[in-house]
Amino acid sequence: MAIKEIDVKLFSKMFLAGAIYLDRSKEEINELNVFPVPDGDTGTNMTMTIMSAAKEVRDLGEEPDMKSLCKAMSGGSLRGARGNSGVILSQLLRGLTKAVRDEQVITVPLLGAACTKAVETAYKAVMKPTEGTILTVARGMGEKITELIENGEDDLEVILPAVLEHGYKVLDQTPELLPVLKQAGVVDSGGAGLMKVVQGAVDLFSGKEIDLTISDDPIAKVDDSRPGKIEDVQKNIYHAEIKVMLSKNVNSKLESDVKSYLNDIGDLKSFKVSGSEVNIDINTDDPGLVLQKAIKFGILSDVKVTCRLEGSKAKEAADSAAPAAAPEPKGEPTEFGFVAVSAGDGLAEIFRSLGVDYVIEGGQTMNPSTADILDAVEKVNAKTVFVLPNNKNIIMAANQARDLTTDKDVLVIPTKTIPQGITAAINFSAGSSADENEQAMVEAIGLVKTGEITYAVRDTSIDDHEIRKGDYMGIGDKKILSVGTDMNQVVVEMIAEMADDSSELISLYYGADVTEEDANALKDLIAEKFNTLDVDIQNGGQPVYYYIVSVE
Amino acid sequence: MGSKIAVVTDTNSSMTVEEGKELGITVIPMPFFIGGKEFLDGVTLTQEEFYERLKGGEEIHTSQPSPEEVMKTWDKLLEEYDEIVHIPMSSGLSGSCGSAYLLAQHYDDKVQVVDNQRISVTLRQSCLDALELIDRGMSARQVKDELERVKFESSIYIMIDTLHYLKKGGRLTPAAAAIGTLLKIKPVLQIQGEKLDSYGKTRTFQGGKEIIMKAIKNDMENRFGCTDKCHNVHLEMAYTDDLAAAEQFEKELNEMFPGYEVVKRPLSLSIACHIGPGAIAADVSKKI
Repeated sequence: MAIKEIDVKLFSKMFLAGAIYLDRSKEEINELNVFPVPDGDTGTNMTMTIMSAAKEVRDLGEEPDMKSLCKAMSGGSLRGARGNSGVILSQLLRGLTKAVRDEQVITVPLLGAACTKAVETAYKAVMKPTEGTILTVARGMGEKITELIENGEDDLEVILPAVLEHGYKVLDQTPELLPVLKQAGVVDSGGAGLMKVVQGAVDLFSGKEIDLTISDDPIAKVDDSRPGKIEDVQKNIYHAEIKVMLSKNVNSKLESDVKSYLNDIGDLKSFKVSGSEVNIDINTDDPGLVLQKAIKFGILSDVKVTCRLEGSKAKEAADSAAPAAAPEPKGEPTEFGFVAVSAGDGLAEIFRSLGVDYVIEGGQTMNPSTADILDAVEKVNAKTVFVLPNNKNIIMAANQARDLTTDKDVLVIPTKTIPQGITAAINFSAGSSADENEQAMVEAIGLVKTGEITYAVRDTSIDDHEIRKGDYMGIGDKKILSVGTDMNQVVVEMIAEMADDSSELISLYYGADVTEEDANALKDLIAEKFNTLDVDIQNGGQPVYYYIVSVE
Repeated sequence: MGSKIAVVTDTNSSMTVEEGKELGITVIPMPFFIGGKEFLDGVTLTQEEFYERLKGGEEIHTSQPSPEEVMKTWDKLLEEYDEIVHIPMSSGLSGSCGSAYLLAQHYDDKVQVVDNQRISVTLRQSCLDALELIDRGMSARQVKDELERVKFESSIYIMIDTLHYLKKGGRLTPAAAAIGTLLKIKPVLQIQGEKLDSYGKTRTFQGGKEIIMKAIKNDMENRFGCTDKCHNVHLEMAYTDDLAAAEQFEKELNEMFPGYEVVKRPLSLSIACHIGPGAIAADVSKKI
């Protein structure tokens, strides 16, 4: 007998199965990275995006209603979105759920319409859609399902496998559409990730046994990298004792969730449930978060918060914490504020010295999610907040954060590299309007050239360079500029490609894996080779990239 | 027959005593103290010697011309002239103007002290304007009023190579001084009226020149209504120490603003003392 609809329960399970398939395959997807750099993270980004939604879906329990399910899928992935493929995946889910959220079951025609809506929404989210990517794969499947339905097919047992098969066919064609893929000998990683999700959903639909347990691990990992933990002057300086009169039942699952959350934000001393009362005893740096969590379970019948530092120590901590921590939103908002994404203590310090209010720890190896950026924007008490993503794979998540912010103006300056971000911050002028500043910053970032030095994780051929695993590579704004086995030589060759007659200044930001001595030796070498240019060297402390270089 | 009027300024006008003489302007040299010893700008201290000592890290203090010196100059001039127009450096940046104003109280209305917020090349232009107005038959009082009426019709943009000297002289707020201590940043400052404001920032000399030229262009078009046919402003530039860089900038200014006669002068040493070598400035001031 033909199956002609999907009910809420099945829809929920199909989604979870898709998430689990993607999670299982994330390493495989990571390896599809075009550039053979040690940060191929499409798989990780997409997994974190979908897991953020999967966790919310899991928490709805066995019998969700369609509206809540759609809200969890859409909202969870939207906030958890990381990287460009993650953002596109979240937009696909947003479009899909928008089409079905007011219905009780998903009929065949509705599924067709929902897929079309999903593709439409995702394309709209991208300023310049590129074919040969996750978008093409999604569109291929959307067109296939429409075609099948138009041809009178109404059995999902026929439709779903056919759509899946067609999706793989389109994925296999992506190298024909995007030359970089062909040269690197891979299919598009985002498209491959999407196919994992669809494969999981179709397998579950076809009756395959799949363990749908969504563990907390990946999310917990995300929480560890959350902003706000950048510099601890003194750990967990507040002691909070909170008594909650429960207004709902606390089952063991919920209890363990809350405990793990509290342990994340502090040092949980005890968590005792007795009858309709919970007693929480915790040392933390942010008692506000504890109260926010606790208040969800009932009435706070007793709250005691004390500072564990002595008077003078507290003053000291306050003084030294002031520049590191984000200013608390209080008092009159300032006209302009800045949020920047960067990895490494040195770079964070540089951004702060340029007037950036909040530095989100992240970058190429760890793309912050839309929620991380939202969180940072919220912490900056300014009417207009400029966001410097400083990585091309973070710009979309930043744009998504902008679209989700209602209480202040957010302007995303599309900085693709750290030097572009630094240049943008330098070109800010407090006396100009938001629009004038945006224009000046966007203009200025076009004038700085960036090169980054890292190593190859596999053999490949790209931009006419033969690359062996372990080689050092100098990656420019548009292509690989130099390759070799001697790091300093690779840097010098890269700079030779970047510099021209109008160049004046070479800036080197050395990473966590480079010693100050080696960096200074390289600086001397560069000053000698390019003796008409100024050379400035800074400790960036960034991971993965030995050197980030700019020429301007 | 109008009265005979002399024009007096100081070496902050970017004119030496000698150069002033040629133009018919009396220039009082600004005093410096280096290692407790007094030097006079352009008289007992040359530009070369000054920069050598500044770069060598010597403590250089600026001072005002002594009241005695100022009154001696005036007294001498009044033997020959009926009135004096005295135009010192901007009251926003130096106390010279205030002191001169007090001294002038003893000269009835014979000495008119002009407080028109000019400095360097724009101050020099004001002195030339004063001569022009005197030629037109104005009294010293009328010249003062006219120059003060147009005091805001001028802007100077100045790029500083390093914040080191400004910080040393305590001329920056701690917040401003903290900016860019990690990265080498060249600030572009604006002097308009008595305010010395931050205008822009750059990491490269070329970037700074572009900020300045854009600002000048903007002023010409939007503040002063200059057109291709109507050049109703003076375009001037100044520099500290680096003549070659100044000549290059002069060339670029001439290319960007054809038809203007760009006046190029070294910045006065008492300004250089606070901003250090390697600075470059350009300004527009409306013609009278």
